[in-house]
Amino acid sequence: MNNPITRWFKETARVWSRELRLIFSDAGMLLFFFALPLVYPLVYTLIYNPEVVTDIPVTVVDNSRTSASRELTRSIDATSAIKIVGYATSLSEARRWQAEKRCYGILVIPEDYARDIGRSEQTHVDFYSDMSLLLRFRTFLSALTDVQLATGAKIRAQKMEAAGLPASEAPISSEAFFLGDAEQGFASFIIPGIVVLIIQQSMILGIAMLIGTSRERRRRNGGIDPMAIQASPSATMAGKLLAYMVPYLPMSVYALHYVPLMFSLPHSGSMTQYLPFFLPMLIASAGFGLVISEIFVKEREMSLMVVVFTSVGFLFLSGLTWPRYAMHPVWQWIGNCIPAVWGVEGFIRINSNSATLAQNSHPYLMLWLLSAIYWTIYWMMLRHHRAKKLF
Amino acid sequence: MSDNKNTGFRSLLHRSLRELGSRRMYLWAMILVPLGVAFFFLSLMHEGLPERVPTAVVDMDHTSLSTKVTRSLSSQQYVDITQVLADYHEAMDKVQRGEIFGFFYIPRDFERDALGETGATITYYTNLTYFVPGSLAYKAFKTMAVTSSGAIVQSELTGMGLTPSAAGTLLQPIVIDTHSIGNPWLNYNIYLSNSFLPCLLELMIFLVTAWSICHEIKTGESVEWLRAADGSMLKALAGKLLPQTVIFTIVGLAIQALCFRYNHFPMNGSWGALTLATILLVLASQSFGVIVSSAMPNLRLALSLCSLTGILAFSVAGFSYPVEDMYGAIGIFSYILPIRYYFLIYIDQALNGVPVYYSRLYFVGLLCFPIVAALLSRNLRRFCLRPTYVP
Repeated sequence: MNNPITRWFKETARVWSRELRLIFSDAGMLLFFFALPLVYPLVYTLIYNPEVVTDIPVTVVDNSRTSASRELTRSIDATSAIKIVGYATSLSEARRWQAEKRCYGILVIPEDYARDIGRSEQTHVDFYSDMSLLLRFRTFLSALTDVQLATGAKIRAQKMEAAGLPASEAPISSEAFFLGDAEQGFASFIIPGIVVLIIQQSMILGIAMLIGTSRERRRRNGGIDPMAIQASPSATMAGKLLAYMVPYLPMSVYALHYVPLMFSLPHSGSMTQYLPFFLPMLIASAGFGLVISEIFVKEREMSLMVVVFTSVGFLFLSGLTWPRYAMHPVWQWIGNCIPAVWGVEGFIRINSNSATLAQNSHPYLMLWLLSAIYWTIYWMMLRHHRAKKLF
Repeated sequence: MSDNKNTGFRSLLHRSLRELGSRRMYLWAMILVPLGVAFFFLSLMHEGLPERVPTAVVDMDHTSLSTKVTRSLSSQQYVDITQVLADYHEAMDKVQRGEIFGFFYIPRDFERDALGETGATITYYTNLTYFVPGSLAYKAFKTMAVTSSGAIVQSELTGMGLTPSAAGTLLQPIVIDTHSIGNPWLNYNIYLSNSFLPCLLELMIFLVTAWSICHEIKTGESVEWLRAADGSMLKALAGKLLPQTVIFTIVGLAIQALCFRYNHFPMNGSWGALTLATILLVLASQSFGVIVSSAMPNLRLALSLCSLTGILAFSVAGFSYPVEDMYGAIGIFSYILPIRYYFLIYIDQALNGVPVYYSRLYFVGLLCFPIVAALLSRNLRRFCLRPTYVP
């Protein structure tokens, strides 16, 4: 015991095994550290797994009633996005159907639709879209644009043939490629980010509960936590971090590798790139969790009151819904302090865009920086407690 | 006798107010968090749409035509051509580094092929790992590809002797005008804040309600609480929750005012109906908390279940991905959440402005929660009389 290095390792080992005992003997901890990261990714993926919106009900008000207007309706019905559910005699009747949620869009074909086409005049068709969900609107818009282009090309070919003009092929054709989410699916887009958030948040919840429970013990026992191990701040830190890694290393492999695999989500990154990337993410999250728990969590169950709502804020700070480049600098800076913000950014690029760790050196280094900052703050907190003889 | 009852209820109210004042946590969870997050959302997305998506052009042609295309691409509203790159690999590298969200690829010999017999192909790549910037870039690229092709066809047609206007009509004989009803600006702030902020309020109400009930059981004070209410569980609940109802309602209406008055979000229907919906959302969410606490009168488990449902509500209530397109077994869960009914009322009233008649069932849905809570509270009474704390 005289050798300080051996002593340090022994202290670390004792803190590590005590922390593991506290985790494995507590149903609440098992829920946060195991059940939550195991089950949440599955539940979220199941919610979004149908991926795309299809056959959205649409009502047609056909004031033209010609074979041309019927053909337009047919080609719109033929898209995977739209399903024509009925014909209304007037716009107001269609509006009533929409109010009853029997349809989410109304197509109005004007009276002179066929006549305009016959006279070589431009014809305008109106489509009224419900805006409750932008996803539906976007699906409508892209399907209708395709129909408009295809119908236009067909009419043009007929006209030119009739006028004896040589058929003109479009001189510039175009081809669109979607990177990262080739199917344009919703689960494929959101889940890779969500799993990173789940890892961070479940870890913080668990750490907050450990700290809250320890504080309750201390209050009950006249300021002393009987379960706490007497150790130097650095040994306490090392022991705790290593204990949290016991569940979170396998959980990370599960969430980052097996979840995308199970649901055939985008998963083109290499494990040799994203697992090393994720190491500082785990270390930073643990430090972050320890610091905010020491500040805010006075009681075991308060962990839930303090941590749960932050998931919504962190989701938005990560830029998954509103991109970070368009944020006010203040929000960018707050986001910079959250490990999962960098974790989401880097993991998505590696996982979905097959980027390398080297290409993501910025988020990677930021995660190490955050690790250093949060663990230093925690070290100072431990020293402070010691000075006040709280341990 | 009624006098006696009055003083009884008054002392009960006094007890709950003392409780609310004794913990800083209540101030945080009931007022600062909902209003703080509201401020965060409204400030984060105040621009409505994240314009100026960073994108790039790869010009392999370097002719006057390709330069023209690049220039008109830069003038598109949603994209910002931040770089002109040398080749595909460089562009892909920038995507993987997250510097750009897509690129437009003009091939070698583009001008020669486009004006000659063979025709040229433009390709464009958009990174859909970030949905909003990705789809904005896609829209800009597609418009560009279609218009540049159109410009050449039009000059070909006028070359054949057509007037420019006839050529224009022939180029686009049919136009489908898509009208976005209620949110013509496709404003993300309107779309996300109006659903996510009430949902966050719901989450905080779940947590605070479950906390304030189950904490009585944890500390064993539930016996005294019930005695103060003359042994009536309903009276005890009313006395405890009424002050919270008032505070949460004020916070909810303040958020509503922030959205509709201060930010001028569209309000096309009945103010009264939406205000009533907010009040009922508060009551229904409190009732949900009571239901969970009655089913599981354990502080940790009740809070865990409230967190689980409260957080999943953001996904399963169908704000982003429609409930109709989820798996039936999952979508059905949206109807156990008060926020689903509030969301449907909000769409009917604020966005679409349909007569209140069409929203009637959603109001009934919200009213079901207090009834179920009252029925289940008998179970709670049993646990309040014999409080046992299980960590």
